Amino acid sequence: MEIELLEIRDFLAVHHPFDQLSDPFLTMLPEKLEIRYFRRNTSIPDSGSVNNYLYIVRSGAVELLGKENELLARLSEGDVFGYRASHRETQEKQRRGTAIEDTLVYQLSASDVDHLCDKNPQFAYFFGPAGSDLLKDVMTSSGQDPKTQVSLMTTPIKDLINRQPITISPSSTIRETALKMSEERVSSILVCAEGQLAGIVTDRDLRNRVVAEGLDYDIPITEIMTFNPTTVDESDFAFEAQLKMARKNVHHLPVVRGDKIMGMLTVTDITKHDTTSAVYLVNDIYKMDTVEQMQRISAKVPQLLQSLASADATANSAGHVITAITDAITNRLLQLAEEKLGPPPVAYAWLAAGSQARNEQTAKSDQDNCLLIDDSYDPSTHGQYFQDMSRLVCDGLDACGYIYCPGEMMATTDKWRQPLQTWKHYFNRWIDQPEPMALMLTCVFFDLRCVHGNINLFRELREYVLRKTRGNRIFLAHMVGNALTHQPPLGFFRNFVLIKGGEHDQTFDLKHTGIIPIVDLARVYALAAGSEAVNTQDRLAEVAEGGEVTADSARDLSDALEFICFLRIEHQARQIRNDQQPDNFMSPDDLSHFERNHLKDAFSVVRTMQNVLSQRYTR
Amino acid sequence: MSIWKYLFNIEERRNWWLRKMPDCPLRDYYEVPFPMLDTDWRQVDYLALDFETTGLDEEKDEILSLGYTTIRGHTLNLGDATHILAKPSGALPEASVIVHGIMDDQAASAQSLEEALPDLLYSLAGKAMLAHHAAIEYHFLSNACKRVYGYPFVGPVVDTLALEVRVFRNSNRSIRSGDLRLAAARDRYNLPRYPAHNALTDALAAGELFLAQVAHRRSKRSPTLRDVTVVS
Repeated sequence: MEIELLEIRDFLAVHHPFDQLSDPFLTMLPEKLEIRYFRRNTSIPDSGSVNNYLYIVRSGAVELLGKENELLARLSEGDVFGYRASHRETQEKQRRGTAIEDTLVYQLSASDVDHLCDKNPQFAYFFGPAGSDLLKDVMTSSGQDPKTQVSLMTTPIKDLINRQPITISPSSTIRETALKMSEERVSSILVCAEGQLAGIVTDRDLRNRVVAEGLDYDIPITEIMTFNPTTVDESDFAFEAQLKMARKNVHHLPVVRGDKIMGMLTVTDITKHDTTSAVYLVNDIYKMDTVEQMQRISAKVPQLLQSLASADATANSAGHVITAITDAITNRLLQLAEEKLGPPPVAYAWLAAGSQARNEQTAKSDQDNCLLIDDSYDPSTHGQYFQDMSRLVCDGLDACGYIYCPGEMMATTDKWRQPLQTWKHYFNRWIDQPEPMALMLTCVFFDLRCVHGNINLFRELREYVLRKTRGNRIFLAHMVGNALTHQPPLGFFRNFVLIKGGEHDQTFDLKHTGIIPIVDLARVYALAAGSEAVNTQDRLAEVAEGGEVTADSARDLSDALEFICFLRIEHQARQIRNDQQPDNFMSPDDLSHFERNHLKDAFSVVRTMQNVLSQRYTR
Repeated sequence: MSIWKYLFNIEERRNWWLRKMPDCPLRDYYEVPFPMLDTDWRQVDYLALDFETTGLDEEKDEILSLGYTTIRGHTLNLGDATHILAKPSGALPEASVIVHGIMDDQAASAQSLEEALPDLLYSLAGKAMLAHHAAIEYHFLSNACKRVYGYPFVGPVVDTLALEVRVFRNSNRSIRSGDLRLAAARDRYNLPRYPAHNALTDALAAGELFLAQVAHRRSKRSPTLRDVTVVS
């Protein structure tokens, strides 16, 4: 007897999570289903618990309401609810659906769902107990490009070395060797006699065997070099070199062809191959002497982002890498400014604010920065120097694509180029007499990091601020209010983004609806706990169990952030590949069912934590 | 009015045939009492049924395939869903091949009606038969029973097309051509579109339509089987 339920099978096959089922299970699934019809404005289920079945919306639309009748989600064709479909158990036990259109649903009994989960691990991910694990799994399982691994396996070492070996004769002294290494800007050097490799000397050797031992710098290098070092053949694969380095715990491997020395392979060469040229870009920046040269390097940031995306980098580490470029450019611009204007008349610290401070930049961001000057600052005599310096740096950054901050949150603005005393005064006012509007503009200054200059100045300011914010309920209540201004959407309904209250939107802003809310939450936690961390992931890790948030919730938020940022990187990499300007606006069409579901989950984590904070501080 | 008048008091007729009939699957079917007409509709089991046939003449044309599934307590169970290809006695007329997509060679590997009927009758026992434009299924089934067992088929019948006519009449709307087709009716209830002309899909489609029709009844009182059967 032939069961012809192809129509239903085909429907399930294109909807998540059923698309994860293997063929035999998918074919068997329809006969396990029951079909129910619910008229508009009737509740689903009409009797019993919502957890008796998993409901699959076949046609029509359903709203899920929470305990206090708040709209939690709006579902349409292909969406599921009911048994195990909500990962946030406690919060959503009360959930009940209401058909908002005439609705046909397929229902699958709880025991059948369990059975399918047992047999289909991919399918079971969807029904995992905690949203967070789920998000983690998505990122590790969602078909990421294994190219990098493969390429390390298949790239011969000769493709990785790009300069002649730097060698020195065995008769040289330690001092001569160090000099040559410094001139050549290398961290290791080969000691060769008549073209034959005799030994190797590295920075580490100079530190450990010479300086630490108090040796005379004029004794021969042969006294401290490593004899007959481990080598690799230039036709070996990069992967083998990486293994050798790990096993021998060395960072440098001489590359040979037969007896001939071909070059030096460093651990950086391999890392560089992994994450494209992040390290190289940074190094190159420090060799640049003009803004035009730096522009050429910053123009490579989109490519860098793209290769980070395809190299499977976590969003957090990608943020660090991209920000490292910005930092290097800032640093170099400041060095050049000091060269041009002369040494600073009083100590200062150049502070990055906002996403640069948090190490969370992606393909090009605005610049947010400010200048913190020692209290011995005298505007009449020193003012011009720092004004010129700020102008040089901010103009340089703008030329490199870090466009001027629309809100003028830059060191070129007189107000944000002030001595420590004035900054303390600013923070006093923001913290002691918080005003919602002012806070919205200045909250960027609650994420600060010293990029260049006197770090002690910065430390003093930071300590001062954190001492004032720690446990300061009135101030924190205002920060919470600020943190709640950006709300994640409720989810997706048909091809629309469901904004709170049920409005629709065509695209959604990953940054303002996904990332900023988490960044804002983490800032509140960190300020409440007096934590020095600035990077959002670091903040979440530090404040876990700190009172404002439980370890579990912090981990949920951290995973949600990583997932949303991961989507943003993929999105921007895709735009770069298509020669489009990278932005934060994503169309729901660009998301797979899989991603949609998990994004919905990430949003729900954020909403939950926003509710917790709002109840604690604003009631 | 029509054939349906003739079905009045089907329970009497069931007893009548039971007394006369020798042991056979049809007799087994008659052994089980019909659901009572004044039962709440949710207490009744239904068999949503559809035949694909070589034509519309129940005397000459043949059943090509049967699809059916159970509705119980306002739930349509796909676990009972059955689809049977029936072996026709002659070659297939070209027109019906085009309509139903059933090829000669496929049909040849099918069961004969004699083999298929017992399963269907077993599934129908104690239930109300449900179909869109049920007269077709009813007549074809009855004819098949007469041919195979020598006795006709009788039972309570729910016709979603007749129910749809009532909806139009009750709301004083005029019926235009095409309004009563299964797909058009389903559209009005926001039911998904299925590709037509597979016996099982059409049976499901009729079953879902029935669930929708009952859900949309205006009266406060929950309908009885009498309210939804085509005895008028």
